[in-house]
Amino acid sequence: MIEAIAIGAIRGGTSVVLAGVGETIAERSGLIYLGCEGSMLVGALTAYAVGIETGNPWLGALAAVCTGAALAMVYGLLVIVRRANQIATGLAITFLGLGATSLFGQSYVSQGVRPFVPWAMPGLSDIPFVGNVLFNHDPLTYLSFVVVPAAWWFLFRSGPGLRMRAVGERPDIVGTMGVAAPSSRWMALALAGGLAGLGGAQLATAFARTWSENMVAGRGFIAVALVIFAAWNPLNIAIGAYLFAGAVAFELQLQARGSDISIFLLDAIPYLTVIAVLTALSRRRRHAAPESLATVFQQDAATFASRQPRSRRATRSAALRPTPTTLNHERTIP
Amino acid sequence: MTAISTAADTGERWNAAARLASVLIASLVVFGLLLVASGANPLSGYSAMWSSITRDSTAFGDVLIRTVPYLLGALAVSVPARAGLFNIGGEGQLLLGAIGAMAMANVLDQGLPRALTLVFMMSAGGALGASWAMIAAALRALAGVNEAISTLLLNYLATLLLGWLVFGRWKDPKSTGFPRTRPLADVESLPALWGRVHIGVLVVVPLAVMIAKALRSTSWGFRLTVLGRNPEAARRSGFHTTGLALSALATGGALAGLGGAIQLAGVESSLRPGIMSGYGFTAVLAAWMVRQSPLKAIASSLLLAAIAIGGNGLKIREGLSAASVNILMAIILLAVLGWGSRPTQSSKGATA
Repeated sequence: MIEAIAIGAIRGGTSVVLAGVGETIAERSGLIYLGCEGSMLVGALTAYAVGIETGNPWLGALAAVCTGAALAMVYGLLVIVRRANQIATGLAITFLGLGATSLFGQSYVSQGVRPFVPWAMPGLSDIPFVGNVLFNHDPLTYLSFVVVPAAWWFLFRSGPGLRMRAVGERPDIVGTMGVAAPSSRWMALALAGGLAGLGGAQLATAFARTWSENMVAGRGFIAVALVIFAAWNPLNIAIGAYLFAGAVAFELQLQARGSDISIFLLDAIPYLTVIAVLTALSRRRRHAAPESLATVFQQDAATFASRQPRSRRATRSAALRPTPTTLNHERTIP
Repeated sequence: MTAISTAADTGERWNAAARLASVLIASLVVFGLLLVASGANPLSGYSAMWSSITRDSTAFGDVLIRTVPYLLGALAVSVPARAGLFNIGGEGQLLLGAIGAMAMANVLDQGLPRALTLVFMMSAGGALGASWAMIAAALRALAGVNEAISTLLLNYLATLLLGWLVFGRWKDPKSTGFPRTRPLADVESLPALWGRVHIGVLVVVPLAVMIAKALRSTSWGFRLTVLGRNPEAARRSGFHTTGLALSALATGGALAGLGGAIQLAGVESSLRPGIMSGYGFTAVLAAWMVRQSPLKAIASSLLLAAIAIGGNGLKIREGLSAASVNILMAIILLAVLGWGSRPTQSSKGATA
């Protein structure tokens, strides 16, 4: 049973790991990307559809990275260029992904795809327990084993990663140092959307091997929640995601063993796990948060509440503000 | 000076109206292009949507009754937003409201007169919705858990709770195929005005006006606004900030809960899996579309209700999935967020 749960944790957790690592990168640059859920959905459908049309799951995964990132670019256009509220934009992006996948995915609902098949690593997969848990997976899961340390290296050991984190802490100061905050954030978003799309691809073409409307079912939001748990560190994301997926696997094992408990209560276990973990850690993690993130909520709320009166006041003052000619005129009077 | 500012205001208002109109038209065009991309005919799509909301008084009534949960859900976003809090848990709070109303109906067992029964049911719905929001508020106050994330996760738990009740102890033995609870009796249902339109439609608009007034001109509303705009100032003025934040989220939850209760007693009559699915998220869009103004939320809720009901036409006549209209709703919100108002001073400064 323990082995089954561990295998389920890795296989089911991969999509959340990938999305969570992407979300970590975005938040490190100062952007909360709630569209993560939408990027995962779009990625899942793209991988599935392209997989069916071409018969090649790899092409599907590649296309999923592109569409997932494309959706994140829409978010970037609004948040970086138009300075829209991050939370509202992210949620609208998820809604857009939900609607778009439901519109374009309708014809794929009952079709079968050639899925990614588990590939046992020669030699390593023969190790008892560990071999089955770690070395008998689909290629995208192996890829996620590489993505996690690579993301850590990128964020904490590379130049672009350092700039990205600096942008996430104090964009104003970084600006004066000659680093353009927007370009760093665009890159972070591309990575976040692309990884979420890849996570969706793993979900649709390796894990579930089917497409159904809204199949991501909150995994993207779970990934966003896990970033706090992970203290904005990609390595911890993996722990959190496997914990979540392990709870799902545990619950499935209980069901399979014919437990008397209602499946709805069992289904609640993974969500309760995440909430419990957040409750235990949120305060302790606060210091780890990129500094500009803390202001996302505050600042946005403030601009929201005051935007209307402020713009009116702005017009009024613009109407009263002396034009350059009157300014000169005034200057000559005394 | 008054003359100048009035003229400027009028001009501004015209500008805002023109801006809003172009944003809406652009959204319709983008959605039309997406319909083309999916292989559908956008013109017949739009005409299907239009006819399904204007066909007859029943169709228009459907739009009105759908506005009710959207508007209450939007108010549930607006009140906490005033205090700087993000309530994305409307989905769950609506469900809890419906569950609370059903529980109260079961407890009363048709033993009271209709008016009293309904008042009790609505109160129970509001109370349960408020307590659901209070979970998020308590997690924030005690453990510092971000309320945007906790309310989001609580939605999934609410759906599971509903499933547990509907498939379990509340399952109507007579329901065949799809499980559902017993249908409400007449004394437990809201009286109808005409057709399917129930009396709840008359309640929500005054309620939105009251909320707007409470936020604008009571000391509670003032304190919430201070807390939202400058929490440091609120703390230093000796406001009980934790209590204020709790009251804002609880009020929001109660409003959404009331919405769920009204939807159950006025429209659905019995609980089933998937009831009100997506209403809470749509309500969030409705609230953000108008920058969380409770009064303007009346209009945005009506618009989104019309689009949602229009989606049924898209499904029946064009064979497209009903959730496709989510695209249109999302595009409108994105357009409003990005291009709905004049650029603010700060962004102007950045581009200059």
